[in-house]
Amino acid sequence: MRDAATLDVPLVELVDRLLNRGVVLTGELTISVAGVDLIYLGLSVVLTSVETIREAGAEI
Amino acid sequence: MTFLLRAIVAAEDGGVAAELGLTAVPASVVVALASPWEAAGPAGEAELLDHHRVVQAVFGRVPCLPARFGSVFADAAALRTRLAAREKDLAAQLARLGHRCELAITCAWRDSGAALPTTSIPAMTGRDYLERGVTRARTQKERQRRADEIVARLLGELAVEPAFIRHRTCPRPAVAVSMSALVTRDEIDEINSRLERLGAQLPDVTTVVQGPWAPYTFAVSE
Repeated sequence: MRDAATLDVPLVELVDRLLNRGVVLTGELTISVAGVDLIYLGLSVVLTSVETIREAGAEI
Repeated sequence: MTFLLRAIVAAEDGGVAAELGLTAVPASVVVALASPWEAAGPAGEAELLDHHRVVQAVFGRVPCLPARFGSVFADAAALRTRLAAREKDLAAQLARLGHRCELAITCAWRDSGAALPTTSIPAMTGRDYLERGVTRARTQKERQRRADEIVARLLGELAVEPAFIRHRTCPRPAVAVSMSALVTRDEIDEINSRLERLGAQLPDVTTVVQGPWAPYTFAVSE
């Protein structure tokens, strides 16, 4: 195994969890996270997160 | 004053809020931990990682359910109302998950997915284009098959209850498997050792284990 710090993948994995997983109390506003894409290396994750934000917005 | 939700803890653990400089918004049996939030602009990397730092600080002290980043409430009353509506479910989740940790296991292709031909390269001829498409489909199919094999190896090695495992295969070009395992703290060292041994037997991927984290993946929204 390589040290996690030597790979870019782990940061994407963490960000994915912070933005897409965890408890949501239905009805709250979701703040915008512009700039987060700067730390993504995988575009697909950005798109996933954007979709999540849109879905959350649709519930409001 | 608006609040950014950080985590949910049991009522008896609400004292952790003062320790960490957080605001406690209590319901009957659970407490929401939040921070004052002033939206000076869009949140970015610093705010995102700070959220993780706060959640980990809570999780290091007491069992908790981490909140997804970005949950902002107009005031404490709004948060309390939402909390009360979900309290029974949250308390049950907290009892089931709160004392467990999430390990993030990522198997990244050693060639970073570079072997996948991209469709953005203009084909010289129609035949080239079609052949490129066939090659791409074949490569993707082979990668999927291999990722499924790796998942089977990981599941065998982890021997964790199926309800405490989530995984995705080929979620991004560079990644074969992204897996989350919910484990107890005293299992972590043993699982890390087993995964390290397994990683050495998988020459085509680099295996990275992160955590222990609060159980982000297993804390459900509804």
